[in-house]
Amino acid sequence: MASLIEQQLRERAQALLDEGSVELFLGYRQGSRSLRVAPFAARSSSETERLVWNAACVPNLAGTLHKYAGQRIGVALKMCDAHSVIQLLRFNQIRRDELYVIGVVCHGMADAERIAATDADTITLWDPATERPTLGPDQLLDKCVSCTQPVPDLYDELLGRVATAPPETKNERLADIQMLEAMDAPTRRAFWQEQLSKCTLCYACQAACPLCFCKQCALSLERSDPRRQTRDMGAIFTYHVMRAYHLTERCTGCNECERVCPEDIPLSLITQKLEQDREQR
Amino acid sequence: MSERFEPHILGLLCSWCAYSGADTAGVSRAQYPANIRIVRVMCSGRIDPLFVARAFEHGADGVLVAGCHPGDCHYISGNNFAQERFASFARLLDFFGIDQRRFRLDWVSGAEGARFATIVSEMTEELRALGPLNIKVTS
Ligand code: SF4
Ligand code: SF4
Ligand code: SF4
Ligand code: FES
Repeated sequence: MASLIEQQLRERAQALLDEGSVELFLGYRQGSRSLRVAPFAARSSSETERLVWNAACVPNLAGTLHKYAGQRIGVALKMCDAHSVIQLLRFNQIRRDELYVIGVVCHGMADAERIAATDADTITLWDPATERPTLGPDQLLDKCVSCTQPVPDLYDELLGRVATAPPETKNERLADIQMLEAMDAPTRRAFWQEQLSKCTLCYACQAACPLCFCKQCALSLERSDPRRQTRDMGAIFTYHVMRAYHLTERCTGCNECERVCPEDIPLSLITQKLEQDREQR
Repeated sequence: MSERFEPHILGLLCSWCAYSGADTAGVSRAQYPANIRIVRVMCSGRIDPLFVARAFEHGADGVLVAGCHPGDCHYISGNNFAQERFASFARLLDFFGIDQRRFRLDWVSGAEGARFATIVSEMTEELRALGPLNIKVTS
């Protein structure tokens, strides 16, 4: 059984493909495990049957768009992904006239790691009456708990509806940042040394980041250097401070980096700091 | 008696002003500590914050970036770019817990040998008090 949004999305994707206004429609398909989805590009109207929309549609599709450069793309975007797309447009990485955006109203997505395997069925996590996930704050992604913007900033047409405006909630991360900033430098350094010493330089955070779009990453020059394949705090420090610096004007706080980090390093502290600095300027 | 800690400072100096300033300091025999190693670049606008991060990574205890005074850059606006870049980069260094005194961006003209000597002396004193950065040390 499909949710209403899912049905509408399939219908619209099918119509767009059939009338030839897009060459592919980018959305999600069911992943290999429950509560996981994978980006999926439907290229024919029969393939649109595989598109899903549920509480597990977390991955940021903006990072996938560059693969289809030069083609007319239809894409389903929630608010976070739309923000990233706006940045990609701003930095001339994609073209607006190649893009047809179906915005999807989003009331929060599930943090798969916080949901018990027993109720890990995406259907049961969706309330068809309100068209939103049946998830409490302890089961949503952190970024969704404090999110107050269900409607994407960029779309050609919109699916879903906003029944009640989301309540203003405190962003816990900002309090964490203030706490960090109140520390003296050596204590803060010790905090980061402890956190970053877990980093294996797997570069997953960069691969997942929709705004790390450089064809040749300036920080990858020595990746074949054996010294950089060890856990060298110097190399780890350079990587993180430089990636943060490069994302100063780009990062939208989509939090994909933290989500994919296998070592659970609190990268959102860094990205929130960037956001805070931008607001203060 | 314990030995005094001697910091390693990397100086990234623009060729036209700051490097000439260092030269003037030498020619006029101004005294300044021998803790600084200087790399000459064409303009402070050429200095990528990555150079600074790499310097720390490879053992520098402090980094000095110096160029022409605002308005005097030989490529017109290189130092304005440097100023903007390093303002946000310095905030990040601080956020990661690198003491703000370990990085300094300053302007030195070709004639200001004494000023260059003062900057290096000040930085050396501050870094001696701070101790080694030890970026590679875990925990
Ligand atoms: S750095 Fe992280 S939060 Fe920022 S855009 Fe990239 S993935 Fe999203
Ligand atoms: S880390 Fe910097 S250079 Fe590398 S891809 Fe990201 S933005 Fe580009
Ligand atoms: S994903 Fe995590 S472990 Fe991998 S490079 Fe990024 S911070 Fe390090
Ligand atoms: S030439 Fe000296 S700062 Fe540009």
